[in-house]
Amino acid sequence: MSRIPRISASVRASLARRTYASSTVQLPNEAHGHLPTSQSPITSKLHFFNSVMEEGKQIPTYRVLDGSGKLLEGAEVPEFDEALARRMYENMSRLPIIDNLLYNVQRQGKISFYMTAHGEEATLIGSAAALDPNDEVLGQYREMGVLLWRGFTYDEVMAQCFGNHEDTCTKGKQMPVHFGSRKYHFHPISSPLATQIPQAAGVGFALKRDPLRRGKNCAVVYFGEGAASEGDFHAGMLLASTVPSPTLFIARNNGFAISTPSSEQYHGDGIASRGPGYGIHTIRVDGNDILAVLSAVREGRRLCIEEGRGVLIEAMTYRVGHHSTSDDSFAYRPRQEVEDRKRIDNPISRFRLFLESRGWWSEQEEEKFKDEVRKEVMKAFKRGESLQRHALKEMFNDVYAGEEPWNIREQRQELWALLKKYGNVWEPWKNELKKHKGEGKELIEGDV
Amino acid sequence: MFSARVSQRTLRLFKSPGRRFQSSAPEPPPAGGHLPSVATSALLRTTRDSALRSQGISWTDGDNDGPPGSVIAGRETRRMNLYQAVRDAMSIALMKDDSAVVFGEDVAFGGVFRCTMGLAEEFGRERVFNTPLTEQGIAGFGIGLASMGHTAIAEIQFADYIFPAFDQIVNEAAKHRFRSGGQYDVGSLTIRCPTMSVGHGGLYHSQSPEGYFMGASGLKIVIPRSPVQAKGLLLSSIRDPNPVIFMEPKILYRSAIEQVPIDDYHLPLGRAEILTPGSDLTLLTWGTPVYHCEAAVHLLSNPPPNLAPHVPASIRNAKIELIDLRTILPWDVETVTESVKKTGRLVIVHEASMTGGVGGEIAAEVQRRCFLKLEAPVRRVAGWDTPVPMQYEKFHIPDALRVLDAMIETLTY
Ligand SMILES: Cc1ncc(C[n+]2csc(CCOP(=O)(O)OP(=O)(O)O)c2C)c(N)n1
Ligand SMILES: [Mg+2]
Repeated sequence: MSRIPRISASVRASLARRTYASSTVQLPNEAHGHLPTSQSPITSKLHFFNSVMEEGKQIPTYRVLDGSGKLLEGAEVPEFDEALARRMYENMSRLPIIDNLLYNVQRQGKISFYMTAHGEEATLIGSAAALDPNDEVLGQYREMGVLLWRGFTYDEVMAQCFGNHEDTCTKGKQMPVHFGSRKYHFHPISSPLATQIPQAAGVGFALKRDPLRRGKNCAVVYFGEGAASEGDFHAGMLLASTVPSPTLFIARNNGFAISTPSSEQYHGDGIASRGPGYGIHTIRVDGNDILAVLSAVREGRRLCIEEGRGVLIEAMTYRVGHHSTSDDSFAYRPRQEVEDRKRIDNPISRFRLFLESRGWWSEQEEEKFKDEVRKEVMKAFKRGESLQRHALKEMFNDVYAGEEPWNIREQRQELWALLKKYGNVWEPWKNELKKHKGEGKELIEGDV
Repeated sequence: MFSARVSQRTLRLFKSPGRRFQSSAPEPPPAGGHLPSVATSALLRTTRDSALRSQGISWTDGDNDGPPGSVIAGRETRRMNLYQAVRDAMSIALMKDDSAVVFGEDVAFGGVFRCTMGLAEEFGRERVFNTPLTEQGIAGFGIGLASMGHTAIAEIQFADYIFPAFDQIVNEAAKHRFRSGGQYDVGSLTIRCPTMSVGHGGLYHSQSPEGYFMGASGLKIVIPRSPVQAKGLLLSSIRDPNPVIFMEPKILYRSAIEQVPIDDYHLPLGRAEILTPGSDLTLLTWGTPVYHCEAAVHLLSNPPPNLAPHVPASIRNAKIELIDLRTILPWDVETVTESVKKTGRLVIVHEASMTGGVGGEIAAEVQRRCFLKLEAPVRRVAGWDTPVPMQYEKFHIPDALRVLDAMIETLTY
């Protein structure tokens, strides 16, 4: 015989809170009452469900502009003016210029690696524009656009990608595109996927505990639909909803994780369907419509901060470029598919048509703007390329703070002694030393 | 002060009779101080005959198609690089064993290092398939499959990304047999992953995480140095009754090329291989550094003019015993200690950081077993105890010079 357990005071209290918090939800017909420890109504109908929407329906995609940049019927234009619109457009347009250059530069062997954001410009810039510049961003690796929006310079981009001595992101320790900037509240990129997602929940919690930032800022975490398959994604969502903490989850669903199409990444209704499973407010948005992204992220951010809990945004877009410079995507998708997507669903031209229809942008401005950007980017590239790497002695720094452990100290001394002995005669080192600031002279000639 | 000690030791060396060093270098390097790169390594088996006579090779033609056991007449080889040899091994495993499946991130189109190229087309998507992006899932899934007696060949895209699967591997795969009183096991699980540095991978594309698994008894760790080795060791790993982590040095995927026997064969797990016999110093390593060690042996016997002043003439004829450990867990203590008892000197080279590296484990055991025979402290040449720093990698990962210097110090101790 089953007995109905007594509901403890704390459970009752939390039930009350829950009911209050979700008061917008219609309470279903409770002809048979509900489970003692939850609001789940008792039903006599044997029925499996497999949708978070009305039976059989997919989660809708929020859109403001149609493919030709015209306002969708019934859509509301987000609050913005010409200056903001132009700034958004200009930032979108800067991305492919930098991407093209650095992609080609990698091809020439001048940098070791690169990843473009072709096709995802609206998702990146639209979300960046919706955030407060002090919101804490945790990215995956394709989010350089967010940093640029915040003021990161071309020189800083080049410094990181070349790993030269002006690189303050990683001091030449990480691969290209692994940006990080405390100044711009952009946490350091790490190659292992999805690790940033639960970290974001912790960042959000710290913001909530900080009296100066509570209610003002949230944590914002970007990740691909591929990374969302990692356990860390689920851990992060669960923590931000349960602990809870103001964390805005932005899934860039660009259709691919390297070669794996999203159809092999999940069987459910995208990433968005997972939000309600964690009790998280969720929206799917057309990631190639910058105004839709702007509105969705603004509203998501508001909810997130107001409720102090996670919010999920799934931005639907398409990875037009290869995964990275190590990838040739035509090995697994037809060239024509990419060409079609570029033509039919180009986020930049969609927004440009909208701007032009308002008289906020013109062909002449386009030419002039792109010309200037190309020149500036090229100048930064030449400069970045010409600078040497950090001094070799940086290598052992930043492992520990405080007293340096004996092993690090002794290993540094061991290398310095080897350099003194062989630095001038061992060709591989001799050549390599020339790339570093000071060319190792302080070690070879100095007292170490 | 240091040099005084060196010369004293060197003197002592020369006084002891029978310790005249003979060169162990297979052939002198060409004029001009050229270093044997991987492509020109004398360790690679570039002829049919040498490939078929690989030490410890055993033919496993269950179908009696090929000639019996030890006969090599009638057997063929084909030129393959390391990724092709890995693919060939998996193809044989899939062909001979209906229960075998190959899975992991991006394996269906061939894998980011091309190791599974064409396998999906050949064996179908049910047997060669993409998984969602979850290493813990891949390892757990493989454990489940293997516990049902199926052959699970999983790929983790980079050894650096094996850590989400650490719990499944260390707490589950390694302990499965033990915790079920031998009722269950996951011996038919093999997890392949590309490992070690390529020169510009930085923190997360250069690691050698074998050491993290050293404490996981129940598990085997195998690292091949070449295509012939990769094929034979991978087939042995797949069929070994224990779960195996098979780490493939990714810089060798394309650059190491050998004649590889086309038949099904095994190379023994748990056995190191003596690559060049010697009597004066044991040089122990695995994976990519095998070739740096080979180069260092050349430098020692025949230093180019600018290095010559640093290489005392007295040790240039030293006979170096170069050993490829191959199986890291459980490691071949017998071959290693037999060698060190003969040479009295041991230099261990690995790319992983010094602290917590496999070298420490080996050094501890060797000093216990060979204490009275040791002429010099066991020396480790390893990555420094920092994460792998991209722009500084050439000074971080041990190269031929660091191996050379360690050998000089050890020989002149
Ligand atoms: C833990 C981990 N596993 C595997 C990889 C290798 N890897 C790098 S990017 C990538 C695909 C990621 O796809 P997605 O999350 O959709 O992001 P996108 O590249 O599409 O922006 C993979 C598998 C990794 N970096 N980390
Ligand atoms: Mg993706």
